[in-house]
Amino acid sequence: MSHVLCNVFHKRAITLLEEKFRALIITNNEIIRDKYTVARPKLRNPTWFTKKHRSLEPNFLTHENREFLSEIIQDRYNHIRPESVINTNIEWNPKLKRSGLIGRKIGVYPLWLKNGRKIATTLIQVLDNHVIKYIPPEEHNPPRKRVKQIINKKGCLLIGAEAADPSLFTKEYCGLFKNSGVIPKKILGRFLISPEGILPPGTLLNAMHFPVGHYVDVRGRTIDRGFQGVMKRHGFKGMPASHGVTKTHRRGGNIGGGGEKGRVWPGTKMPGHMGNRFRIAKGLKIWRINTKYNVLWVSGQAIPGDCNSVVYIYDSCLPTRKPKEPIPFPTYLLEDELPEDIYDKELHCFDEPSIIFDGST
Amino acid sequence: MYQTTRCVFKSKLNLKNVFRVCSTAAETATTTKEQERITSEGIRKKFTEYRYIYPEFLPSPEIKFRNAIREKLERKDMVARRTQIAIPEFYVGSILSVLTSDLHSPGKTEKFVGICIKREGCGLRAKFILRNVIDHEGVEVLYEMYDPTIQKIEVLRLEKRLDDELLYLRDALPEYSTFDVNMEAELLTEGAPVPINPIKIKLKPRPWLERWERKNLQGVEEINVPQHLWDRAAKSAKPWEKYDLMKTYMNTIPEEEQIEIFDEVKTQLQKLEITRKKMKRKRTFVKPTKLA
Repeated sequence: MSHVLCNVFHKRAITLLEEKFRALIITNNEIIRDKYTVARPKLRNPTWFTKKHRSLEPNFLTHENREFLSEIIQDRYNHIRPESVINTNIEWNPKLKRSGLIGRKIGVYPLWLKNGRKIATTLIQVLDNHVIKYIPPEEHNPPRKRVKQIINKKGCLLIGAEAADPSLFTKEYCGLFKNSGVIPKKILGRFLISPEGILPPGTLLNAMHFPVGHYVDVRGRTIDRGFQGVMKRHGFKGMPASHGVTKTHRRGGNIGGGGEKGRVWPGTKMPGHMGNRFRIAKGLKIWRINTKYNVLWVSGQAIPGDCNSVVYIYDSCLPTRKPKEPIPFPTYLLEDELPEDIYDKELHCFDEPSIIFDGST
Repeated sequence: MYQTTRCVFKSKLNLKNVFRVCSTAAETATTTKEQERITSEGIRKKFTEYRYIYPEFLPSPEIKFRNAIREKLERKDMVARRTQIAIPEFYVGSILSVLTSDLHSPGKTEKFVGICIKREGCGLRAKFILRNVIDHEGVEVLYEMYDPTIQKIEVLRLEKRLDDELLYLRDALPEYSTFDVNMEAELLTEGAPVPINPIKIKLKPRPWLERWERKNLQGVEEINVPQHLWDRAAKSAKPWEKYDLMKTYMNTIPEEEQIEIFDEVKTQLQKLEITRKKMKRKRTFVKPTKLA
């Protein structure tokens, strides 16, 4: 008897407990209590990660031998050509996703518009981007999974830039480039693309991939500023310099109240490490392209990263700045001679006569 | 800074001259080689003068902002702009007149005459400040040298002053920065050195915009400030900085690099110079000044 009662009691207790837990779960959902609101930079190694550089031992090569080796490298990698032909017959639609490019931020200088307005532009040099590998959507298995269900799964295109001496790298790293026939590159980047826009390994991408007047997002690693105070890191005002203020001129001040909220709330702006994170500057217009040096003039002067640092350029994801007119879909293929500089129609070229305002304008 | 480098270079030249004198006494047979060397030196000397005539062609010496391709593209744009507008040789202390197109002025153009009190920036960011006193009020205009709204830049009086910056004119008596708006250009004989105006101006009594007693100004009459300010100036002075070779090196573009840079643009610049001279000659013949 007692045994049976015990069972009943148990069942009741469990149901009660369940209800209580449910209630707790709901309340827990209401309180957002996360340790970090801003994602910490973690070391997430890409799928193709291998050891890149090998330890360089002094190899006592003669001058002739060194020349011979460089000749071999030139013979082997001089004539890179894509294995198969690029399919250019696909009709572009706004849902298709293209590959991006790897570039180098090389400086900032002003340009002027035809209405006399001055704009600051950042120069991005598109490096020697070669397609190295394409991973189809079924095989692509990134280490970082944010969304559970992906409807239109994208393929992964591996692109390398900045050719280097293969003897600097390890055998495994050089093995990444083996099937493409491309000379090993210093910089690698992965771009998610629609499976329709597949590019064969060995294809060279150039700056004309992005037409003038097109909007791009630029991703780069911000300048590492180290451990910074609250004034530099979050733009706080600090405290007065005088009027009896002692020992607190650049400090943040109060960080919260007492009582129920008697703790440091998550996301409170405090001193800490600043910079050295990947950030994206979105919706930047391309004003001008130099086809000789593969340079893009992109609006703005606050593109993440130092001068001469590597940046990744994508088609803009902003809804109002997404491309509406057809763009060169898998990529732009160099066929005929291009002018050295291509300007936006709003832009004033430096070899045009001075701007004169008529009475009408 | 430039002055110091120039001094160094001059002393080098003098040394070379001395050596040449010694060597010519010993060997007279190698005259052709000598001549070659002299001509090459002449070219070199011209390039070294280019850094004063076209200072904005030298990039910023800050290492973290330097990139060879960007500098090359910038120089190309600068030369392209110079084909459209004559940007003459001028210095701080020269009197310029600048004609710009202005959307908001009644005639859609605006002319300003004034003394150049500052010249800064490199590349397409080069700019200068003109100052004049108009209707008893000091007016300063900052012009960007490569701004396409500028229609004409004319040097009315080409001269230098004793200082690299004339910002102290803001605290000087207004007569020192008053210039006639309808001033006519004064012609200098070709090839003549740029005259240096040794004028010493008088500052207004304090308060000032800056502590001028600390700036070691050459173009100012004796400054009357209390002794304790002189003491403080002496305390904050850094007289050893001019001997800091590393600092000079970090703040200047090396001469070899300067030659490389001007080598790239010299033909275009010389061509522009010649065309401008031709135009100048034409203008002087066509438009004689009316007397009486």
